[in-house]
Amino acid sequence: MFQKADNNALWAIGLSLALFFIGGILTTVVPPLVDTTWAKPFENHDPAKGITGKVVPLTDLQKKGRAIYVREGCWYCHTQQIRTLLADTKRYGWRGVDAPISTPDEFVYDDPHMFGTKRTGPDLARVGGKYDEQWHKTHFRNPRDLVKGSVMPPYPWIANDPAEFKAMVAYLQNLGRGKDWRPANDYEK
Amino acid sequence: MQAQFSKAEVASAPEGAVVHDDATAKWFLISSVAYFFIVGIIAVIIAAKFVWPDLMGTMSWLTYGRLRPLHVNGMLFGWLLAADMGLAYYVIPRLCGVKLWSEKLGLATAILWNVIILGAVVTLLAGLNQGWEYAELPWYLDILVVVAWIMFGVNILMTVASRKHQAMYVTIWYTMGCILWTAFVYLTGNFATLFATGTNQANLNWMYVHNAVGLIFTPIGLAIAYYFIPRASSTPLHSHKLSMVGFWSLAFVYVWTGAHHMLHGPISQWLQTISIAFSVMLLIPVWAVVYNLFATMKGQWHQLRESVPLRFLMSGVVFYLLTCFQGPMHSLRTVNAIVSKTDWIPGHAHMAVLGCFSFFAIAGTYFVMPKIFGKALHSEAMANWSYWLLMVGGLGFFVTLWLGGFWQGWQWNNWSIPFIDTVIALRPIWLVRFVSGVMMFAGIVLFAYNILATALGDDERAAA
Repeated sequence: MFQKADNNALWAIGLSLALFFIGGILTTVVPPLVDTTWAKPFENHDPAKGITGKVVPLTDLQKKGRAIYVREGCWYCHTQQIRTLLADTKRYGWRGVDAPISTPDEFVYDDPHMFGTKRTGPDLARVGGKYDEQWHKTHFRNPRDLVKGSVMPPYPWIANDPAEFKAMVAYLQNLGRGKDWRPANDYEK
Repeated sequence: MQAQFSKAEVASAPEGAVVHDDATAKWFLISSVAYFFIVGIIAVIIAAKFVWPDLMGTMSWLTYGRLRPLHVNGMLFGWLLAADMGLAYYVIPRLCGVKLWSEKLGLATAILWNVIILGAVVTLLAGLNQGWEYAELPWYLDILVVVAWIMFGVNILMTVASRKHQAMYVTIWYTMGCILWTAFVYLTGNFATLFATGTNQANLNWMYVHNAVGLIFTPIGLAIAYYFIPRASSTPLHSHKLSMVGFWSLAFVYVWTGAHHMLHGPISQWLQTISIAFSVMLLIPVWAVVYNLFATMKGQWHQLRESVPLRFLMSGVVFYLLTCFQGPMHSLRTVNAIVSKTDWIPGHAHMAVLGCFSFFAIAGTYFVMPKIFGKALHSEAMANWSYWLLMVGGLGFFVTLWLGGFWQGWQWNNWSIPFIDTVIALRPIWLVRFVSGVMMFAGIVLFAYNILATALGDDERAAA
């Protein structure tokens, strides 16, 4: 079979595509068919079944903020996934509450997905409600005014543009809120 | 084998020999070397931004988030893929014993490719970013990439179809494999993702990102190594059978591994396990290739002292072995819990794309350009310096980031250490990375200048 591909170009092409498509189809087309939680938004109102909450589509303002997040490449340095590692749930928890693990059903409305690959800065999957608006304003103007030693670039063109800043904060404050993981009165606006 | 000559050497060509025009190869190589230099400047700037975070920080289009995609796309598509395509335009006609099917089509492809890269510079700096890694370019440029790739593919495949020698050397399979797999991998990463969201989209995105390296740069890179290592050392390839093992196992194994980019993440555990199993199996194609190329050099290693291209090639093979040992190891859940998302990963990625595949492309360019122009290389000493600068700078870059990244991952797993302390801890690492980056850039400058001076110089000595 493989010997024939030595002399016959069409045979070589057919064989290499056939081998490629076995793995290609089984790992891209099949998984979402098998695992339906990839497409079903998270919703649970029964505390007995675990953490409650509901994932809803973003508002127009949040979408605008998200577009800025994509445009500025925030996702090159910030991931949005609490992994199945104790260190992730502890580190990204807040005021003594562990951050819940991120599950595929929380990201059904994410397009483009913002899972990210690199943590030059901290993970943002559960950042919603941790810091107030004034904190974000100062931080976007110059991150080092609030966090000494930070290497995040300053974003004055966001902080100084009221429309962009409002959208950005609206998006950030909503991150990770599909799951009600902290006391309701504990979220900053 | 029939004697073959470049157009520049036509005076010395005997009657009946195939004379290659090489215009397409020439233009692809020259533009790719130019992008290597230009994007190298961007690379040094973003390395500097880690050391001086306020550097050029008040202009939106010079911020890290805009320059990084330009660096990645510019190096991958402007330099490396274009150089690889240029070398394919040179190598494939020679292995087939015929002229390139159409130089006109080839030149049109070169022009279109440059339009795409210039479009990428403008759109990425303007912040028109689709939000997917390696697939940042807007859809209208994606379509042009597909068109250019079809033009490249048709030209190469038609050349293969009209070949004089029936048996196809391993370089031809790898090039054909690259053309076909790239087509589907690129469509998945840039178009199929448009119809998916969330985890499903991420899975398609990672299939593309992983296979951009595994089924685009790996096969075309190995195609080049398989041609130039025997050619530059005048030694026949060790084993044809072993090269078949490497090729067919690559074809089967590589595509399964995309989900290893999301280990421990929000994606099904069973899919993570499949990706881990196949990542470990990657050792088969890699070791088959590496053994074959090492065995080819048996008794010939002394040639590395004399030949800069050969030295780049064999260093690339060593980096290939190392990168592809790291890859399967990272995919093990325990190792991944430490190194994933840290600075280890850019260390690993740069060893693959710079240390291995760019070294192959640089070697090919050094080897081919003097022949295409019918001149001697402008300066052997300068070529030697470019090797050592890239080698020492590269090692400085890779090794410090591995150490730093491992340390960083170790600290992250102790959640009593505040995140910012793990950032501050890495500052010396980033300073060393910047200095290494400057050395690498100096190597690129010498390489680019040497090639340009060879092309433009009036030295008419025939190449050895």
